[in-house]
Amino acid sequence: MIVVEGLVKRHGVVEVLRGVDLAVAKGDVACLIGPSGGGKSTFLRCLNGLERFQAGRVAIGDLELTAEQTPAEHARAARRVCRRMGMVFQAFNLFAHQTVLQNVIEAPVQVLGMGRNEAVERARALLDRVGMADRLDARPRELSGGQQQRVAIARALAMGPEVMLFDEPTSALDPRMTGEVLGVMTDLARDGQTMIVVTHAMGFARKVASVVHVFGEGRVVESGEPGRVFDAPAHEATRSLLAEVRAA
Amino acid sequence: MEGEPAASESDASARPAPRPTTSTTRRVPPRSSSSPLILAALAALALAPVAHADALQDVRAGKILRYGSDMEGGGPYAFPDPASPRSVTGFEVEMMERLAGGLGASAEFSQGQWDKLLSVLDARRFDAVVNGYEWTEVRSRDYLATRPYYIYQLQLMGPTGGSIGSWEDLKRPRADGRRWRVGVLVGSAADVFAEEEAGSTIEVVRFDGATDAMLATQNGQYDLTLQDVPAALFYKDRFPGLEAIGPPVSRGYYVIYTRKADAALRDALDEGIGRLAASGELRRIYEKYGIWNDLQRELTEFAGPIAPASGQFSARGWELLARYRGRLFDAARVTLGLSFGSMPLAMAIGLAVALGRMYGPGWLRGLLAAYVELIRGTPLMLQLYVLFFVLRLPPWVAGIAGLALNYSAYEAEIYRAGLQAVPRGQMEAALALGMSRWTALRRIVIPQAVRLVIPPVSNDFIALFKDTSVCSVITLVELTKQYSILANSTGGVVEFAAATAAIYLAMSLPLSWFSRWSERRLGAEGVKGGLA
Repeated sequence: MIVVEGLVKRHGVVEVLRGVDLAVAKGDVACLIGPSGGGKSTFLRCLNGLERFQAGRVAIGDLELTAEQTPAEHARAARRVCRRMGMVFQAFNLFAHQTVLQNVIEAPVQVLGMGRNEAVERARALLDRVGMADRLDARPRELSGGQQQRVAIARALAMGPEVMLFDEPTSALDPRMTGEVLGVMTDLARDGQTMIVVTHAMGFARKVASVVHVFGEGRVVESGEPGRVFDAPAHEATRSLLAEVRAA
Repeated sequence: MEGEPAASESDASARPAPRPTTSTTRRVPPRSSSSPLILAALAALALAPVAHADALQDVRAGKILRYGSDMEGGGPYAFPDPASPRSVTGFEVEMMERLAGGLGASAEFSQGQWDKLLSVLDARRFDAVVNGYEWTEVRSRDYLATRPYYIYQLQLMGPTGGSIGSWEDLKRPRADGRRWRVGVLVGSAADVFAEEEAGSTIEVVRFDGATDAMLATQNGQYDLTLQDVPAALFYKDRFPGLEAIGPPVSRGYYVIYTRKADAALRDALDEGIGRLAASGELRRIYEKYGIWNDLQRELTEFAGPIAPASGQFSARGWELLARYRGRLFDAARVTLGLSFGSMPLAMAIGLAVALGRMYGPGWLRGLLAAYVELIRGTPLMLQLYVLFFVLRLPPWVAGIAGLALNYSAYEAEIYRAGLQAVPRGQMEAALALGMSRWTALRRIVIPQAVRLVIPPVSNDFIALFKDTSVCSVITLVELTKQYSILANSTGGVVEFAAATAAIYLAMSLPLSWFSRWSERRLGAEGVKGGLA
């Protein structure tokens, strides 16, 4: 359902992505791993149009983002893409001036034109699913990081996305909170949600991923089922990455 | 005259000097209406905390006689010399040179705003006020006046070929039922005269400068202007669209004012004027400026200063405030109207400018940056002048538009800072949920930015509140101007200052409370907290 071809992204003279080809099928849980600075997060932000790129294309079903689009065309296409792709950020990015409930109903009401009552009903169900049903009126700053991230997941799910993007969702969390969030994500995966997850949580990747892509120096250096990639890494970059993780 | 011996004069100077016509040893001269209250008030002003020797001594010792005058629209009284624009000339300037010469000193011109000259005199920046200041009962109570040096009348001026033939014609309503609008110099004799005559058919419009009133009348913004004869004669060539209408009306005297304590200086100047009038020197000066007329022959008939009418009741303190409070409240309403009319506009324009500068296309950013710099870099008063005299907007429209434009530039910068202070992740999260950029701004970024800027914006609102006083240059009589008018015309400087300050405080304190309340709330809920 997602096909990426020849994606090149430059920041000035620095080439962050040097031609990435990648496909994600419906129901896949694709984990992107690799050393910091390998271009994983940038790749994710190109998928939903938060960033533009210099060459290549991204196809999501019948929608397309290309390097040739004018800024206006790209913005229009990205908006349509975003209605079908949810995103969860490392820094949560909950709307700071709104309550938990308001955060979750904001986009369904504003973007989909959903009635408020329906939106609230769905929001309650989603917040229940992430274990936050008892904090509907809390403000983001009153919540722990793990709680904020679970609300952020509910907020993204409220749009009924075909694909969920996770950009290092647990990197800002301590181990206990990391567990809460990964638990929610594991449930989602079990329910058949298509997910693309940038993560350093190798345990999660090994347990939950259907496919693992290893990023290194702006390319996908190795792809495969988690068992194969973790137990018999084919690429040098993968081996050194796994060695680092074990040492840590 | 008396007061020549320096020693005896310095003894007398610590208390109000007796009038020269009154030979008395009592502390307070019988004709003076100085009450303990005004003496206490003057002491409270602390302008002259200790006794000074009579200024005449200083003039003689320093060989300089400083006098206060205003050269803004000051022809033919005192104005920049066309032949040498950095120096000043005029019939009063020449007269003062002669008078100072008679005292063995040279005259030094000191610039001040016309309707504030007496206050500056109190502050001892100069020793005499000479600028077409009319003799009035009120002024002669608090200051010493010389004999007249010019007998003025008031001349009505209007557009060439207009329907009005004389002042009497103004007592009939206009064809369209509106009142005749007559521009005057605020606080001048023309102001007082027109105000007395105002009513169902005449409306007085007050300007800060005599020539401003002429310009606005020539522009067709107002029907007529009432001017002192010398100014009308002097400026008739510069305003070819105006003509004198009918014979001059009213009549009064220009006199020199000194501080109460400086009786010797006043007497010396008085004597000097008498000499110049008798010798024909004054006539030569006046003829040079084209302002001599038969009326001036009476100048030689004065034996000395005009005495204030004795026994006339004069209000002070609460009574003064009670009598004029209606005018103060009217002026406060003007201040409120200008503030609440302009600030919402300034905030709206400012927000639009800030958004344009941050999210607009390149050409718009450049344009808006230039807008901010232009508006911020030029004085409000100049902007009001352009809106009123060049674009010829009605005063209320010009005032509100001027304040709104001026403050929009400052609000724009505040909003820009506020928008930049909202973390980028907020916009990204909104976009990632499929919102358009505008929806994201409207629903997510702007509400948070607005919370951040409440304290600086309410701070600016309080500043704007007081900046409304600049609108007096375009005839809007708001609180500060009304204070100035009342203080000058009644002498109640302290009473009205206190009342005016109290009204300003009563109006701006709620704003301060709101500002502090919002700051506290933001502090309690965190910078990014707050109710939707």
